[in-house]
Amino acid sequence: MTVAQGPNIGVSLYSFTNEWLSRQFDLPALLHEVDRRGLGPNIEIIGFQTFKEFPDVSDRFAAEFRELIAAHNLNPVSCAINSDRFLKPGQQPIDDAALVEYHKRQLRSAAKMGFSLVRYQFALPVHLLPEIAPYAGDLGLRMGVEVHAPMWARHPAVLAYRDMYEKLDTPVLGWIPDFSGTASRIPASMLDAARAAGAAESLIDLLQDIWLEPGMSHERAGKLREIALREGHAPAHIQAASLAFFILANNDPLSWAEMVDRTIHIHGKFYGVSEDLVEEAIDYGAILPLFRDGGFTGTMVSEWEGHAYDTRDAFEQVERHHAMCRKILAG
Amino acid sequence: MLPVERLIGEEGVCAHPRGIRLAMRLPWYRSLPFSTVEVAAVSLDGVAADLSDAVVEYDGKSWPLAQNGEKVDEFWFVRDSAFLVLPAGEIEAGREVALSLTINISPPYIPGMTRTNTQVATLRVA
Repeated sequence: MTVAQGPNIGVSLYSFTNEWLSRQFDLPALLHEVDRRGLGPNIEIIGFQTFKEFPDVSDRFAAEFRELIAAHNLNPVSCAINSDRFLKPGQQPIDDAALVEYHKRQLRSAAKMGFSLVRYQFALPVHLLPEIAPYAGDLGLRMGVEVHAPMWARHPAVLAYRDMYEKLDTPVLGWIPDFSGTASRIPASMLDAARAAGAAESLIDLLQDIWLEPGMSHERAGKLREIALREGHAPAHIQAASLAFFILANNDPLSWAEMVDRTIHIHGKFYGVSEDLVEEAIDYGAILPLFRDGGFTGTMVSEWEGHAYDTRDAFEQVERHHAMCRKILAG
Repeated sequence: MLPVERLIGEEGVCAHPRGIRLAMRLPWYRSLPFSTVEVAAVSLDGVAADLSDAVVEYDGKSWPLAQNGEKVDEFWFVRDSAFLVLPAGEIEAGREVALSLTINISPPYIPGMTRTNTQVATLRVA
């Protein structure tokens, strides 16, 4: 009898963005803390957040990084890379050849440091995949495109990628679901942050109503702004309340079932897990069994994005997230 | 902005033979090319500084601020301070200065997005 084991749990260092930016931890200290608290061994790192030499990491730094990783018995699973097309604001994006080379530079760095896959972005035009995927494959890397809010299983961009994936039919390419696209509600802590910034209850109510409506994120954010201004709310308060439109979407959590077969890695996005192990916005009880029962045995990294508006202890949040996920997966 | 984001760097402001040298932090979660970062305004004691002769110093290199837009392959590491050297009249070490710094960023993977960030602080000139 096969026992469904589900994802291995790890952590994205993105969870510790506030600790990183405020220089509380350098990389050796942060990896030590992740190890000490047992939050690994599987980790994800955003290349452009953590590595000063990115996108062209030197052999010397790569060797130092590998030693550091080995010293803490960590496993560098995923390196997040970026599709930086708009290098000159207001001007044309860089051409396809330059964008391909920009990706290859990052892929070479990720491989050199020992990562097994990269997270890439929909900003990479789908027609460039036939050129980039074999290059990644030759480096021993897989590539997962991050399906982040407002994307979800049936978003047009995802469907276009799905067509190309089926055409290329290579194990190099896959999905990285990010649960932000299927939030059941706006996190209470995010609403509290908007209140703390001065947003009135009537604005919070309006936000929650409009956030649940169908339509494009920027259009709904525009609608909130228009109505709220008319009702006399201050622009700064409206801005504080609008974050939800840009990092969260309210699509069907069960829709992830359609992506399990090509999922190679998961972003366990979350905003706040309570002491009794309940996440504020994302229904893990509905989502995780889809991946466990669908046979996914890769890594899910905890990705605490409450840091975008909150200075709670990120390490404690990740510990709680791990405990919650293990409890659900064992159930 | 993230709760810990800041524009005025931890190193603050110091007197410099050309005027002052101001530490700046990148208000984003990841490194960005300098071409996507615009130092839009600096004011000292309420007076807008002339940025036409300002110079950026970063990681042992320096270039005129006016050339920032061409720096597509020079990345500002998100943990580092970059420094702005600008003529500022007679600002001697030890006095306090009311400083306002505005930096616009246009993340290169998000078409059309520009975010304006301003920080105001009173600092003692080192």
